[in-house]
Amino acid sequence: MVKADFLTSLVLIALGIAVAIESWRMPRLADLGVNPYTVPGLVPGLLAGILIILGIALCVRSIQAGLSRSTTQSLDITTSHLSLRQSPALYRLGLCLLLTLGYAAVLIGRLPFWLATLLFVFAFIALFENLFQNDAESRLHKTSTLARRLATALLQAVLVAAAVSAVFRYLFLVQLP
Amino acid sequence: MDGLGYFGAALLAYIDWWPLFHIAWATLLGIIVGMMPGLTATLGVALLTTLTFRMAAADAILILVCMYVGAIYGGSRSAILLNIPGTPANAASALDGFPLARAGRAGQAMGIATAGSFCGTLIGMLFLALLAPLLAEFALKFGSFEFFWLALFGIVISGHLTALDDPLKGWIAGFLGLLVAMVGQEGIHAYQRFSFGSVDLAGGFGLLPVLVGTFGFAEVLVVMKKPAYEAVKNASDRIIPRLGELLPYKRSIARSGVLGTLMGLIPGVGEDMGAWVSYAAARRASRERERFGRGSVEGLLSAETGNSAAVPGAIIPVLTLAVPGSAPAAVLLAAMIIHGVRPGPLIMIEFPGFVFEVVAMVFYAGLAILLFGLLLTRPLLSVLSVSRERLMPIIFVLCTVGAFAIASRLFDVWVMLGFGVLGFILREMKYPMAPLVLGVVLGPILDKNFRRGMVLSDGSLEPFLTRPISAVLALLTLLVVVLSFKSLRRFFANLFKRLLPS
Repeated sequence: MVKADFLTSLVLIALGIAVAIESWRMPRLADLGVNPYTVPGLVPGLLAGILIILGIALCVRSIQAGLSRSTTQSLDITTSHLSLRQSPALYRLGLCLLLTLGYAAVLIGRLPFWLATLLFVFAFIALFENLFQNDAESRLHKTSTLARRLATALLQAVLVAAAVSAVFRYLFLVQLP
Repeated sequence: MDGLGYFGAALLAYIDWWPLFHIAWATLLGIIVGMMPGLTATLGVALLTTLTFRMAAADAILILVCMYVGAIYGGSRSAILLNIPGTPANAASALDGFPLARAGRAGQAMGIATAGSFCGTLIGMLFLALLAPLLAEFALKFGSFEFFWLALFGIVISGHLTALDDPLKGWIAGFLGLLVAMVGQEGIHAYQRFSFGSVDLAGGFGLLPVLVGTFGFAEVLVVMKKPAYEAVKNASDRIIPRLGELLPYKRSIARSGVLGTLMGLIPGVGEDMGAWVSYAAARRASRERERFGRGSVEGLLSAETGNSAAVPGAIIPVLTLAVPGSAPAAVLLAAMIIHGVRPGPLIMIEFPGFVFEVVAMVFYAGLAILLFGLLLTRPLLSVLSVSRERLMPIIFVLCTVGAFAIASRLFDVWVMLGFGVLGFILREMKYPMAPLVLGVVLGPILDKNFRRGMVLSDGSLEPFLTRPISAVLALLTLLVVVLSFKSLRRFFANLFKRLLPS
């Protein structure tokens, strides 16, 4: 956490400086006869200043915490020996990100909505139910075969795609992507 | 007296097929949304806002208020049965609810939670009816200087109270939110800030895609990262509480209702603080203090009353100041603006009946949670057995459609994705989300009013500090910042001990 805080503080300071520079570069609109106290860059510049101060405070605090910790205990865990069994959380997160971003950023807009949704829901359920075997999910594995699980996943995908498309387009009169 | 007339008229107006149907399904959906881990009240209200976009204003706001009240109540179910609060507002309920469930008293716990939520909703509703008109009239005295300080105070106190052990992170989240609000056309000269030539960025980041991202997509990521939650327990004991069970705790109920409403009233501090503050106060004043945390009925009651009272409490500043009292209230504010209601100090002049219509909506939502909560306990339990692998993709599809639905542009979907990832990263690093959202809402208010104030005072900062209301708000802001430093807090505590006679 200390390392994360330190890196975040650097990002915040950099962001603050970037915003401050961009705010300074904003036009003063003097040719429009505008009151100098209403220039567009005023408030973003001030906010950037405050963010820089907060970033510095976080930086100083994380350095102090890091220095006091290194004398008493070892630092962050290395991530070099991860396997599925040791850190399933990261793999779950990675797969979830891949599927969700793939759906919303790639499939939507290029495929018809119902098809994109069907593929996404099927892939999500099928992959998560079968790739990760821990306590609650092993209950499923004991009572059904792979084919059956994939079939129910497909069925649910079809239902969701149909229901969402129909309900939103015809009931709520909402445009679908 | 006018108020009673408006309230009575609104109450009667809702006794009709369509309004009752909306109240029923919206509250039930809200309870289900609140129950499911991974779905929060904010997301529920945000998604319903995008979906009820084309409905009439009165119907839409009614649905949203019912969803809001239902969701905050619904979270108590999973808190009691799974030890996982359905929404952050129900975290305090899990402390005593889950031990009660483990001791075979799950039904009783759920009945108590329902009764507490109903009482809290009613107490909050009373304050809404009494305070909103008064506050609106007081707020008519607010000028640019006062609104600037109100916005800044909201960020500072929200950042502090939502991250009690680390206010610095709360403030960073708040100011990041304010900066996010700076992107796009600014409100005085229509100059496009930070748009870098992109037409999409010139429109700024819409509040609803940002909310759906930080509270929807980020939540999906959080849930999928954790290991699966365990199966549901049975609730075979009696559910409907006897009046004799509740009467001994009437003082706790009243205290929790008041504290919850107050927490809701403070900008950006919402139902979760309402629950915690009520819980802590009840424990301090209780005669059964040692039972708290081990299955205390009073603890569960105070937590649920507190968080439900915060709902009407959070609506008070929405209506009278156009400043949200909590994250779901921020969505409600956006929804009201979308539907043409103009919240703010002028509301009692422009739409006087509307405030009391909202009071009536809260009342009916409270009745609905009482009915559904006590009668539909067992059917609702089956909802909890849906596995997250099946639920999360549906939620994400709804997030995508919801983000797209407002302005029909894919850019909003990208915003939702971006803020979802950002929200997830910030949450993993223990940054609270409520100040970020509050910053996005209050950014334009802070910006415009600061610049207008500077024009009115011709560059002088003096009116910002000498006008009476501004001075009070400025002092409160300074106090919150100063008191967040532990060293200074200890210094003042020691000073008081020495000054006051022992």
